[in-house]
Amino acid sequence: MSVYLEKLAEFSAMLRGEGLAVGTQETADTCEILSLLDLTDRETVRLVLQAVYAKSREEQTLFQHCFDGFFVSVEQRDAIRRKQEAQAQEMARRRREAEQDMQVGGQPMNLREDLQEVYVRMSEEKRDQLRQMLEKMQGNLRRSPKLYSNFIRSVFMRFLLEQQMAMEDDAATGSEALDPDMALLYRDISQFREADIPRAAALIAAISRQLDAELSRKRQNRGHSGKLDFRRTIRKGLETGGSFYRLAYRKKRQKKRRLVLLCDVSGSMLQFSEFVLRFIKSMSEVSESSQTFLFSEETREVDPFALQNMDAFRDYVRSSGLFGRGTDLGQALEELCRHRPPALGPSTTLLILSDTKTIDLPRAAQALVEARRQAGRVLWLNPIPQRKWPYMASIQTMAGLCQMAPCSTLEELTRSCRKLMK
Amino acid sequence: MDIPALQARLDEAKYICGGDVAATLLVALRLGRPLLIEGPAGVGKTEIAKVMASALDRELVRLQCYEGLDESKALYEWNYQKQLLSIQVQMNRRDADELTRSLFSDEYLLERPLLRAIRSEKPVVLLIDEIDKADEEFEAFLLELLSEMQVTIPEVGTIPARSIPFVVLTSNRTRPLGEALRRRCAYLYLQYPDIEKETAIIKAKRPNVGEHLAVQVAQAIHSLRESESILKKPSIAETLDWTSALEALGIRDLTMDAARQTMGFVLKSSEDMEAAGDVLYGQGRGCGHDHDHGHSHGQDHEHCGACGRHQA
Repeated sequence: MSVYLEKLAEFSAMLRGEGLAVGTQETADTCEILSLLDLTDRETVRLVLQAVYAKSREEQTLFQHCFDGFFVSVEQRDAIRRKQEAQAQEMARRRREAEQDMQVGGQPMNLREDLQEVYVRMSEEKRDQLRQMLEKMQGNLRRSPKLYSNFIRSVFMRFLLEQQMAMEDDAATGSEALDPDMALLYRDISQFREADIPRAAALIAAISRQLDAELSRKRQNRGHSGKLDFRRTIRKGLETGGSFYRLAYRKKRQKKRRLVLLCDVSGSMLQFSEFVLRFIKSMSEVSESSQTFLFSEETREVDPFALQNMDAFRDYVRSSGLFGRGTDLGQALEELCRHRPPALGPSTTLLILSDTKTIDLPRAAQALVEARRQAGRVLWLNPIPQRKWPYMASIQTMAGLCQMAPCSTLEELTRSCRKLMK
Repeated sequence: MDIPALQARLDEAKYICGGDVAATLLVALRLGRPLLIEGPAGVGKTEIAKVMASALDRELVRLQCYEGLDESKALYEWNYQKQLLSIQVQMNRRDADELTRSLFSDEYLLERPLLRAIRSEKPVVLLIDEIDKADEEFEAFLLELLSEMQVTIPEVGTIPARSIPFVVLTSNRTRPLGEALRRRCAYLYLQYPDIEKETAIIKAKRPNVGEHLAVQVAQAIHSLRESESILKKPSIAETLDWTSALEALGIRDLTMDAARQTMGFVLKSSEDMEAAGDVLYGQGRGCGHDHDHGHSHGQDHEHCGACGRHQA
């Protein structure tokens, strides 16, 4: 029993580390059930532990991963240890190489530690590219060491930053293999292939139905608010000779909300905007009372019928002259603030769909402050994955001025829409 | 009871499932934990509760959740009208304090499914069906029952369970359930059965249907579920309905005409019916089984995508 408990406590800690909500109750439960059933078969133990530890389909996927890593035979464990030792030796060798490579004129480049680690983990091919560049620069470096050492350092830094972002992307997409059914939900919307679009559309329809159900539950008339309506109760009581035989309750009052969508349709944003608009429009709450504006360098208010399907949306954007142009968010926000009759008001939620890449950032920031003053609430949906935000100054600026939510994937988009409904 | 024994009882009750389902059911049963079952509509979530009631020889108490369900419909309600009448009738006959006390007794208590389940002398199977359709407030209200196996009625006090019911909660995931509720339950995710299991289900539930037709139906249903263009995936109950319809028409082989005639038992919207045409009758699809075609290739023929069989 104590052996079970010790092992299971370790396993619980591992699951907790992976983000599963595992408490002491679960550990005690698994310990109890294992001793009750006296199981020896690995697969049955897996099923039993899964029933207790994993509380959703997503958690089941994580659980499987952890179980396979934790409960291994002695041979498997030795093999893993040998592999890890070999990997550690290889990394040590690469680090020594990296120290030699990242020198300019015999002096270390003094790059950030995380970038040095990127260099160590980079493929041999990529490292060769940098080595060749360094080789080519040797002549220039001898002629003007100070100027070229700075230049080489900046080239290294940029290259390593790009590699770091690529590695983070790979790490994110690697998790898709765990459950192919859910892959689409977690894939970057901009990475959707043509073949994925019908599946993504079906998924959007399903999620929208789910959100709609949640919304109708929030909006629906829940009988009464708990407060007695004396006037109606007394009046009804007259029907039964003064006995308050039937009680009447006050109804809850509904809050009316309006949504204004400001949607970037410049070249890089088109695919993302299509999906988000389709998603938001399919939520009946939003489509009841909303206004939609599309912008690139100019702004146009869009006819809701043009958003009914993706082909109509694409045609509309192309014929409107907005497609393929740059992005001027400042101009769009200013126009929205000046719009007559007023588009923004205290009961309005302004939803901006944009990647924050715009010309004249200070003007856009100023216009956003004004829009925030006019609208009741501003929410920004950003298709750039959140892990890349620290690298982009425009995101840092805009995120400080309004509530910004990531929505690079359909899963993030769903979460953001839930936030929007609150 | 161990896993094979429980599985044998489920088999007796004609519920065909894998070891994973039996293991999870046993864990929940032995630990006395509620079991939360999620999965698409029509995979047999509700059926598990019914079958468990039959396998454990217990009464099934069912609470169907819906928007606006509150404790007066789920737990108890005071019979207000009866109380009012009683006050008027006995106003001058009884002591006021005694009358007040009597108003909050069992005589005036309307017992609803949750209270019935925990006040039952014999343990029951309590099915809380489609919990995702109920409001979040109701979900919070359930926590006391699920974790402590007791309920609190303000006028009476806390009522502990006389017997521990086996609680089954089902959800179609139309909204995410709260973490607090999940943590109190053992969890099972049911998926649509594979062709082999669905064939076994058909044979268990419709013993008069031939092996050949059962396989054909299972394959056709599998194709429909796999297709992206079918929005409402056919449930197991619809598979059985379809089989019954084919059986009633005396059909022993799922030809294209037979499938067309009876498709209304499987798909319930015109869009899906149209899409089914491509999925089942589309050229070049087949079940991969050998059939005696009875005609030479090159002739005009119809092709049933459900079974891959050609008709002259």
